[in-house]
Amino acid sequence: MKNKRFAIVLDTERCIDCKACTVACKAENDVPLGPNNYRNWVVASKLRGKYPNLGQSYTPSQCQHCSNAPCEHVCPTRATFTSSDGIVDVKEEKCIGCKYCQTACPYNARYYNEETGAIDKCTFCAQRIYAVPPRLPACVDTCPTKVRAFGDLNDPNSEVSLLLARNPSKVLKPAMGTNPHLFYLD
Amino acid sequence: MSAFKNRPKLFVWMAILLLGMAAGAAGVIHVLIVGHAQSYNVTREIPWGLLIATYVFLVVSSTGLCLISSLGHVFGMKQFEFIGKRAILLAILTLLCGFGAIGMEINHPIRMGIYTILSPNFSSAIWWMGTLYGVYLMFLCAEFYFLMKGMHKGAFTMGVLGFTAAVSAHSNLGAVFGLLEARPFWHGSFLPIYFIVSALVSGCALIGMIVYFNHKKSGAPMPLKYADFMDTLGRLQILTLMTLVFFVVWKIIPGIYGHPPEKYEATMSMISGPFAFNFWFFEVLMGLVIPLCILFPKKTRTPTGVMFAGLSSTIGIFFMRYDLVIIGQLVSMREGTAELVNGLLQYTPSLSELGITIGAICTCLFLYTVAERLLPLDPEEH
Repeated sequence: MKNKRFAIVLDTERCIDCKACTVACKAENDVPLGPNNYRNWVVASKLRGKYPNLGQSYTPSQCQHCSNAPCEHVCPTRATFTSSDGIVDVKEEKCIGCKYCQTACPYNARYYNEETGAIDKCTFCAQRIYAVPPRLPACVDTCPTKVRAFGDLNDPNSEVSLLLARNPSKVLKPAMGTNPHLFYLD
Repeated sequence: MSAFKNRPKLFVWMAILLLGMAAGAAGVIHVLIVGHAQSYNVTREIPWGLLIATYVFLVVSSTGLCLISSLGHVFGMKQFEFIGKRAILLAILTLLCGFGAIGMEINHPIRMGIYTILSPNFSSAIWWMGTLYGVYLMFLCAEFYFLMKGMHKGAFTMGVLGFTAAVSAHSNLGAVFGLLEARPFWHGSFLPIYFIVSALVSGCALIGMIVYFNHKKSGAPMPLKYADFMDTLGRLQILTLMTLVFFVVWKIIPGIYGHPPEKYEATMSMISGPFAFNFWFFEVLMGLVIPLCILFPKKTRTPTGVMFAGLSSTIGIFFMRYDLVIIGQLVSMREGTAELVNGLLQYTPSLSELGITIGAICTCLFLYTVAERLLPLDPEEH
């Protein structure tokens, strides 16, 4: 069977900064309490304009599942690896907690999980997407305004492929050369 | 207690070191009981803190001692030969204490031992750094053994290998930071080269202190031969310090010229931001200016002057390491991160981190002081 190339496409115009994605992710993935512990987040831009003409944008994000992942290059024990379907994941038993990947990631997508004793990060909710029947990642599923779409870029008819075919998009920090797989519609 | 009879200074010195080691032990016990997250002030955004800086400081010291002492038994500069045993011994101890500091910083040192062998990643600078420092430690130990046994050929061979390993391992330590494209303040080929240069400064500084205090403890005036050596060392230190000044200047200028994104904010944090005091007072004044002012005039380039210059630059270099490690992480990877002061992240070491740092340095000095009394470290007379 052909490998998949999982990706998320985001339409940030729809984001209302409710942070339901962060809450759903924490509940789904047993993310411990504490300000350092989260797998996804929403960045609120600075306020634009002057009162009463104000504007603000919100950018939800998470691990970009880069196909040229700096975290994978720097990991001394190959605890961080990319699966055949493009998911950047961590083998917990190999993680030595050196935090090199945390300093290498340009997106600050990683944290050290004291409960599992390893670096933790978004896995596109692997436990859900490979379930039978498959389910969407928690952040995608829970979003009240459907900011995120999840799917397989190797399937030309998937929702993500169609969105990227029909709309211009960009990635975060393209100059880093990481080749991210979170796409933001313009 | 007979060792301390008529030696009140030694007693006070050892008592201070033991207190420092107790602080380290308290820090270690605290971490073992409550865990890293509760003990350290490192965060998700600033994951490397004081202990990484301490590790860098100690291994830079080790490398510097190895490189400078190799001037004698590797490069055949006779004047430097007599420092060999002491320098290599202190190089071993600083390296081991450095390993101790990083061992406390990383969460799973035992897994590290297993998986760096079973599942090595050859594209990881940390893997190379760790492996090369391991090899370097073996060469240092062998070199020390041969020096102690008076086996010059073996010491020379191990010295050459140790020198090569020191340069490789240490430039790789620079690469651990320099290969991170995400951190513009660190990224590039500058750091691997800079680390070697600053190791030479550390090496000269520590050797000056070793020679001075070694003679101080004997109570006898310093023989002319050693006083001459201190003068040569002082002049060599001027050269290494001036080279370091050059590196500091050329680190700053590209950091501010044209306001390169992220690099500019990080550089400015040490010019006029939260790290300005560390930079101007410790790095520039204590690390560079005071030592150079002592060493330049022939009148003050005495054994005592060279020792003071060494002490001052060693303190300065500690802050250079700390500032380098922390400043590289001050700029947030995300715009709009909450709780930023002046647009920068913040980090202050915790008591445990401070305790372990003090403990690591005191353990190193304690072991050296004990070894100085137990081992025949004086050079054989030819």
